[in-house]
Amino acid sequence: MNVQTRAIEVTRYSPERDKEPYLQRYDVPFDESTSILDALNYIKEHIDATLSYRWSCRMAICGSCGVMVNGIPKLGCKDFLRLYDHTPETPIRIEPLAHFSVERDLIVNMDEFLTHLEAVKPYIIGDNVDTASLPAEASLQSPAQLSRYQQFANCINCGLCYAACPQFGLNPEFVGPGAIALAHRYNLDSRDHGKTERMPLLNSKNGVWSCTFVGFCSDVCPKGVDPAAAVNQGKVDSAKSMLIQLFKGSQLQGEHQ
Amino acid sequence: MSRLRGLHFEPLWWSLFSAGGVCFAVFVPAVALVFGVLVPLGVIEVSFVELVGWYQGIWGLIFTGAVLCLPAFHAAHRIRHGLHDLKLGGGSTSAFICYGVAAVFSFTALWAWFTF
Repeated sequence: MNVQTRAIEVTRYSPERDKEPYLQRYDVPFDESTSILDALNYIKEHIDATLSYRWSCRMAICGSCGVMVNGIPKLGCKDFLRLYDHTPETPIRIEPLAHFSVERDLIVNMDEFLTHLEAVKPYIIGDNVDTASLPAEASLQSPAQLSRYQQFANCINCGLCYAACPQFGLNPEFVGPGAIALAHRYNLDSRDHGKTERMPLLNSKNGVWSCTFVGFCSDVCPKGVDPAAAVNQGKVDSAKSMLIQLFKGSQLQGEHQ
Repeated sequence: MSRLRGLHFEPLWWSLFSAGGVCFAVFVPAVALVFGVLVPLGVIEVSFVELVGWYQGIWGLIFTGAVLCLPAFHAAHRIRHGLHDLKLGGGSTSAFICYGVAAVFSFTALWAWFTF
């Protein structure tokens, strides 16, 4: 059997040992079905057990294995060696997600995204009603109500959009595409009453207004979410919210339906 | 003062930018086609006297807003954020210069219409 190999360069960095990150080259056997994550697993199991990276589900559900492949943010499990050039002289370069601090090798500090995510309250905020005591029909939605937010609900918090966003790279205080997409998802949900709690952060300069509509976040999203649309629909919401505040002295009310 | 808490000018600039973007996409190409290509080539004929008549009325004001003022603010916003992306200026100085130029340009255009 003829086994092809592919050259891969992986960023290595151990904070105790290395002054700065460096690239290490490995040759990995591959076929049509070998993903970037499979290649990393091969290196870990057969060549170099010290390589560190995150992974779990191998099926683009968990969002753990985000890395830069040749400079583009990708999920390791959803990107394949066959998609890259077949010459040994041009290795595939695998680096940690851009714009995050690196803890070790390909592992980044995801807290830098998760603190923004937590801040937008990405969950249904009720009307001080104990939802468990309500009959099931109380939270029924029509297909039209579902379709308003459904695509934004597909986010798996992988952080690829943050690695793609040049504004997050320039200003880590920017709430960022993923968190704003999820804030928008809950703002659009007919069962939610938390819009007034989310708007002050979205209205701020580090909220929707730091976005300059580059749109690369939507290009790299592995789940087909369109965070750029969420952020820019958020600008309309935010402008309305701030106008209402200016004239009425109160925040934009959540949309009760 | 609670009604002013957390407010900033970005939504205002963005609203002008959005409106200017629509004008840039819809009206500016039409104006460039008509006055930059079709009239000089003689494809359509426009009498100067008739044009002046239109300009003095409400059409002149619409032209000033849609083809001059709003696109100017659109361009100013683009340039300001472009400078930010290139890590040049970026602060309130570049905002002052960009929107200032757009404002002076717009006031001049409006003043020209009022005094024509």
